Amino acid sequence: MQVWSGKRDPNKDYGSIDGCDTVARLFLDRCRKFSARTAHREKDFGIWKSYSWADYYDHAQWIGLGLVKLGLEPGDVVSILSEDTKEWFYADMGIVCAGGVPNGVYTTDAASQLAYLVNDSSSKFLIVENDEQLDKFLEVRDRMPTLSKVIVIDRDGLRAFRDDKVMFADELYDIGREEARRHPGRFEELANAVKPDDLRTLIYTSGTTGRPKGAMVTHANVLFQLNSCFQVVSIFDSDEQLCFLPLCHVLERLFSTDAQIGVGNTINFAESPETVFENIQEVSPHMFTAVPRFWEKVYSRLQIARKEATILGRWAFDRAVAAGMARAEYAQVGEPVPAGVQARYAVWDFLVLSNLRRMIGMDRLRRAGTGAAPISPELLRWFWAIGVPLFEGFGQTETTGVVSINDFGANKIGTIGACLPGVEARIAPDGEIQTRGPHVFKGYWNAPEKTADAMTEDGWLRTGDVGRVDNEGYFTITGRIKDIIITAGGKNITPAEIESAIKFSPYVSDAVIIGDRRKYLTCLVMIDQENVENFAQEHRVPFGDFASLCRAPEVVELIRGEIDRVNREFARVEQVKDFRLIDILLTAEDDELTPTMKLKRSFVEKKHAPLIESMYASA
Amino acid sequence: MAANGSGEGRAPLLSIRNVETFYGAVMAIRGASLDVEEGRIVTILGANGAGKTTLMKTISGVMDPDKGQILFDGEEIQGREPDAIVRKGIAHVPEGREIFPFLTVEENLMMGAYTRKDRGNLPADLEMVFGYFPILKERRSQQAAFLSGGQQQMLAIGRGLMTKPRLMLLDEPSLGLSPILVQEIFAIIRRLNKEQGVTILLVEQNANVALRTADYGYVLEIGRIVMADTTARLLESEDIQEFYLGVQGETQREQKRWKRRKTWR
Repeated sequence: MQVWSGKRDPNKDYGSIDGCDTVARLFLDRCRKFSARTAHREKDFGIWKSYSWADYYDHAQWIGLGLVKLGLEPGDVVSILSEDTKEWFYADMGIVCAGGVPNGVYTTDAASQLAYLVNDSSSKFLIVENDEQLDKFLEVRDRMPTLSKVIVIDRDGLRAFRDDKVMFADELYDIGREEARRHPGRFEELANAVKPDDLRTLIYTSGTTGRPKGAMVTHANVLFQLNSCFQVVSIFDSDEQLCFLPLCHVLERLFSTDAQIGVGNTINFAESPETVFENIQEVSPHMFTAVPRFWEKVYSRLQIARKEATILGRWAFDRAVAAGMARAEYAQVGEPVPAGVQARYAVWDFLVLSNLRRMIGMDRLRRAGTGAAPISPELLRWFWAIGVPLFEGFGQTETTGVVSINDFGANKIGTIGACLPGVEARIAPDGEIQTRGPHVFKGYWNAPEKTADAMTEDGWLRTGDVGRVDNEGYFTITGRIKDIIITAGGKNITPAEIESAIKFSPYVSDAVIIGDRRKYLTCLVMIDQENVENFAQEHRVPFGDFASLCRAPEVVELIRGEIDRVNREFARVEQVKDFRLIDILLTAEDDELTPTMKLKRSFVEKKHAPLIESMYASA
Repeated sequence: MAANGSGEGRAPLLSIRNVETFYGAVMAIRGASLDVEEGRIVTILGANGAGKTTLMKTISGVMDPDKGQILFDGEEIQGREPDAIVRKGIAHVPEGREIFPFLTVEENLMMGAYTRKDRGNLPADLEMVFGYFPILKERRSQQAAFLSGGQQQMLAIGRGLMTKPRLMLLDEPSLGLSPILVQEIFAIIRRLNKEQGVTILLVEQNANVALRTADYGYVLEIGRIVMADTTARLLESEDIQEFYLGVQGETQREQKRWKRRKTWR
């Protein structure tokens, strides 16, 4: 098996930044250096407020010392159940510097899931955002023996609430402040005692099969990852970023929390996942990474806007995108653009595309990234065409974020890029991508057998993704091993590519291919409500609620057309013979969806078994 | 295709198809389709700002839809003048009553019959209205402004009845009325539907009384229909119970400020 790896810089120490070999030390260093500079911006009743690195330090110190006073010992886990706010960051760093291990819990998790995660990690403390999250704790309070205290950040709605296991953030700050006064330098002492091999955080993977497992990520993992990433991707301390994906997920955590500490730039918080499109316009970030679902939604919105424009508007849009596509062919691979092509693009950029980018908040975006799920190459090309340099990367929780990445001058659309410096990867005989290096995690918390399952005998991490590599070291993923479908006829199908192609349609939000041990492939489709409603309106198709929209024959035909279009691109054995629409509006709180809104194959197959059977009934 | 899925075979009396109504640049109704079968009471529930009154005004012709059709007895009526629509047999009892304050009760009622050509039947119809609302007979010569809220509501409904409608649009008849009066008026609405055969499209914020009066219901949220079912099934829906009927699930604390996500299942 040929081993590929990104070139290491022999003079560089990948284990530390500016002499700091743990995130704790690095955090203290940045707070000292930047103190008055703005670290975070958050909206308060609709008005943007700024918070400095000094605020960051103060609150982290109060939380850290407060928790220590309440009994936090080095290595203890503290779970955080909150949407993305500055307090998430404060708690994260406070716990880390005090020698504890932060663990993020998704706000879409139910009470029973919270209990499982708290117990599995033996969390000593739980920090919750507000009354809604507190109610989850209260529902299962008797089931979590390791918890000694719950801290609530936002008091709203809880003025009359009293409970001996629950306290409020401002009370914790008071304790911490008092500790800092009594023991000056204690916080620094604790932070400096943290070692590179200690855990920087626990990240539970959203188990699609079986219960979630807690991945142990060390400081050494993170420092290496930052050093390696920064060698390829430039982030400047003047960069504005937008934080909106859950911080429990490795992608947002790495790019917002750890990278920010590495660089010293500013993080702006989206008010909520629903307002991302408005917030990104307000912030206009320089650097932005998101999941494919986000890029698909932006594409959808622009297509709707195009439909509602005048004939002249639509013509201009199409000409502009065409000019952009022509230029993108050169730009996306880093080749010089011919003068004529560039000139034509410049005209359309001035007339249309720059306005378009301003509309979607990407007028200052120097580099855009996508990861965590497959994305259609067509979609990537389209964003390049409108002037958004969108690069695909690949990584997992178990690899501390990034394994391979595309970037300026080293970009092959459709691939997940070449390995980061210091990261090794190879393709196993069965097609699985395996990786080795300082980025690989320490293992799963309290699950040595699961950890052993994740590693090969010779010490490589099994990513669980299958793929291939070209002669320049660019990897392409074809799908997950677990998802490989073996039809009744014995054919091996990786559904991810077909699903990606189906999802490229603006009318489709997500799709799951079914076919294991079946005669032929079929598909369950989640339609994009807004786009399909628009279609129904345009074509005067009456509909009531969402379910009736899915039942409308014209809508079924519309989706049939989209699937037929995809079928033409694939081999005979990969044809999708039938499909059904999921007629309920799924949210991240449903079992069928992950917190990042991906359909979970096994849950979908179970919950919609009758629907699936109906597609094979005649067979 | 009947959007309310009743499959009785007969075409609905009123059919709204893909209607989009704007206030300037704001889309108030985002593609609503619904049916009202003849002889039934159908209700549209929604909070403030959902688009209920906009929908009523679009049906009665006060507003014109930007897209879509409104079919009454098989004929397209969208975009027609309001008086033409009244003559076709639709009476709109508006939100807030809107009785003529300086006219007497009797004059108000006769205004309802303004478009009618069969003047000979009017005295009998007046007696019919007084039969349902005796208090109006008592006050027939009083200026309408001096009536109480409940009496004004009765007057507004009576005025609507005087047009001899096939379909009555009732926009929030419970607004501002005491619970006892609400019960009284809705009992009369039920009787009107049964005894006079008037089809009723009832828009209400008071989900409780609306769901117990009507046969079929639609739920409107920000211009979109999110649920459509028989009122019996709507009463059992958890989302309706929490968000429209004020029923709170079990809680660990006495007061709960946050709301669960709506799933509309």
